[in-house]
Amino acid sequence: MAAAVAMLAGAPWFGNAYLVSFVFTILVAYILAQSWDWVAGEMGYINLGHYCFYGIGAYAFAIALVAYHSPILAFAVTMLASIAAAVVLGFPLFRLRGDYFAFATLALLPLAEVLAFNLTPITNGADGIVLPVHDVATTSYLIALAVCVVSFAITVCISRIRFGYALRSIRNDEEVAEVTGLRTQPVKLAALALSAMFAGIAGGIQAWQLSYIDPSSVFGLHVALVPIAMALLGGSGLRFGPLVGVVLLALVQQWLLVSITMLQATIYGLIILLIGRFMPGGILRSTWLARRRGPASPGSGTRAQQPFSGSTSAHGPQLPLPVRSVARGKPLLECRDVRMEFGGNVAIGGVSLRVSEGEIVGLIGPNGSGKTTLFNCISKVYEPSAGTMYLLGRDLRALRRDEVARLGVGRTYQNPRPLGDLTVRENIAVPLLFNDASLSPRDALSQAQAFLEYSELADRGGARADSLSLQEKKALEFARALACKPRLLLVDEVASGLTPAEVARFVEHIRHIRDRYGITVIWVEHIFSALAQVVDRVLVLEQGMLIADGSLADVVKDERVLRTYLGTAAAGAINA
Amino acid sequence: MTIDTFVQVCIGGLLIGGLYALVAFGLSLIYGVVRVLNFAHGTLLAVSGTAASIMFAAWQLHPALIAVVLVPVVFAFGYGFYSILLQPLARRSPFEATVGTVLVTVGALLILSDLTAKFAGATQRNIPLRFHTIEVGNIVFSTTQLYILLGIAALSIAMHLMLKRTWFGRAIRAVTQDSIGAQLCGVRSERLKAMTFAFGSSAAAVAGVLYVMSFPVDPYMGFGLTVKAFTIIVVGGIGNLPGALIAGTLLGVAEGLTGLFWKPEWASAISVILLLLILVAFPAGFAKRRR
Repeated sequence: MAAAVAMLAGAPWFGNAYLVSFVFTILVAYILAQSWDWVAGEMGYINLGHYCFYGIGAYAFAIALVAYHSPILAFAVTMLASIAAAVVLGFPLFRLRGDYFAFATLALLPLAEVLAFNLTPITNGADGIVLPVHDVATTSYLIALAVCVVSFAITVCISRIRFGYALRSIRNDEEVAEVTGLRTQPVKLAALALSAMFAGIAGGIQAWQLSYIDPSSVFGLHVALVPIAMALLGGSGLRFGPLVGVVLLALVQQWLLVSITMLQATIYGLIILLIGRFMPGGILRSTWLARRRGPASPGSGTRAQQPFSGSTSAHGPQLPLPVRSVARGKPLLECRDVRMEFGGNVAIGGVSLRVSEGEIVGLIGPNGSGKTTLFNCISKVYEPSAGTMYLLGRDLRALRRDEVARLGVGRTYQNPRPLGDLTVRENIAVPLLFNDASLSPRDALSQAQAFLEYSELADRGGARADSLSLQEKKALEFARALACKPRLLLVDEVASGLTPAEVARFVEHIRHIRDRYGITVIWVEHIFSALAQVVDRVLVLEQGMLIADGSLADVVKDERVLRTYLGTAAAGAINA
Repeated sequence: MTIDTFVQVCIGGLLIGGLYALVAFGLSLIYGVVRVLNFAHGTLLAVSGTAASIMFAAWQLHPALIAVVLVPVVFAFGYGFYSILLQPLARRSPFEATVGTVLVTVGALLILSDLTAKFAGATQRNIPLRFHTIEVGNIVFSTTQLYILLGIAALSIAMHLMLKRTWFGRAIRAVTQDSIGAQLCGVRSERLKAMTFAFGSSAAAVAGVLYVMSFPVDPYMGFGLTVKAFTIIVVGGIGNLPGALIAGTLLGVAEGLTGLFWKPEWASAISVILLLLILVAFPAGFAKRRR
């Protein structure tokens, strides 16, 4: 690799001018494609307007160079301008997700072109800007090469640092990233700003080399999607994907330019189309997957044990959690008149409840009674329509999801939501990272081992999380919620579907984390025998209202509970 | 400036906005059912418009007749394009499917514009057909505009009835909301997807014929239209005809008024500025709430 870079660096002295200018276009295209892929491949946001940062960079550089005659100053202005544009645009754009984000970013291109054409006092309109003439072919080439090397280095580093874990969590499931303690907005803005800065530098270098820019050359719709097509062609999200794609497509383009005199765009389009049709994951994707699939993860059939089925005692592995002695009776969570409405549908109609430190509370009720909705309100996945909620004396209304998580609310999802393309071990390391700013990814990964052993997923640690069975995913949900180091753990039907022996072990887990680590638990479950073994009391929800609150033995005799949830036949069974 | 100019500009905006809405609605039907971001959609309008102008120049065909000829051709093209190039991608992983469809439709966009430019020339074209003008007070508008407006209205009503009253339309709505659920209820989703793609494409073709009657088309204008259509979808919602009509008309009128009160050069930027403002003002997004 170093040899290749050294060879490229020598090209201006040994190669001919044609070769140098061709390599230069490849270098600029690589910066663009790679910086695009930080946002797309790593964070999962398809920014189709990436090229507009390139144009902003080109203009910023040209204007600054004309004004100050200092390339260094001009590059500084270029970086600042593209970062500023990314932050200002990112604010509204990141309100959109998925394809909508792609639509909206695409619209930036014509906007930028119109601005460049019509902000005549600044951009000189259609006439474009002529830069002071110097011979900068070699200098700009070397700068472009250096920026390429930096881009590649960032790509390699990003997978190892905290920021990279944040990006990949966002790519997989933004809500999960938030409820495990990540504040996503600054991360997303930072990723866009980084990507925009490099695109801007690419634009600046290009402007310098050409010494002339006009709106259609830097914002034209027909060139704008090419770097993206290059990254996709090689394989978005792969270390060498953008590089391979850029080189291949640039070679094709050059070949067309030289040997074909007509319908160049048609042939070019046809190549892109055929690649999309037959190699949609990019050229590198198929071989890459085969390599990763190899020895990394044995199929779940080869597993010796299922989660919660082991013979070791639940008290065995030590979890790296703070050991708290609890002040029994001290209120931890207090909800007053919490309402949650969706349009006209009242999911929770004024629930007041209080949970004390160190309690294990069962939350029961028929399906659709608002149990999960209540969890979603507490973890701020939903913004309650009315009512107040206090945790440890803090008003939850004023807090975001990630703040609630870091304050000490861990939750599981009824339908497990693992971060699918991360490994099981990384799934647990991520909340450890988000909840402890001083932890390094390496330490987080080694700390995750204890959680893996605790939930008996140790032999699956290297497997992709989306390859787990449903029960393994539920165990992972539970382990991930614990890794948030919660004061209050919201458990949503983790035990449903387990065999009686496994349920018994899960009950042991719940008791253990309360007794040893002082974690307060609210447990939604329909398995009464399991609840009976461990809960201090139960709350009963019915159609969004709290209809009973007391010991399980009392509650099951309650008239309303019998009528609406257990059914009257149960009354006889309990009395007998 | 008088009130008459204002009204006149609004009528012009209404026209172009209605055409935007037709393009956007076809695109959003396709997106809703097939989940494909079709970057070549606006280009179909450009190609159809160019073809219409050539046919008019060659045989003096009536625009309505041109549409009758073009629609089956574009329908067949859309059906084939989806079946041959896009449908096989649906079997891949979601990521590969998305990337593949982006590459395929971008490739198609480049090919369509280039071929059109090659065979029809890269110049602007229109249908030099002028009906007589009507004057209401001081406001002058041509019957061409009236015909276009009628065409937009008829097409909107037809599409609305198709969606609400026919089983094809019900199937489209069902698949848009829950694809797997619809399949379990017996909707033959693969065929429906191809039909929807073809249908949305032909809507763009009709819009192309109407467009070229009063505005110039060129082979490379398509992508700009696609961008506007995407903007309209974000504001108006997926598969939502009234939403597309309202958002499209607003956009057309806003463009016209920008030209009137400020400078015509800024007109094409207004859609994006409006989109960004709406996103700031409505954090949850219009579209999300309607979904």
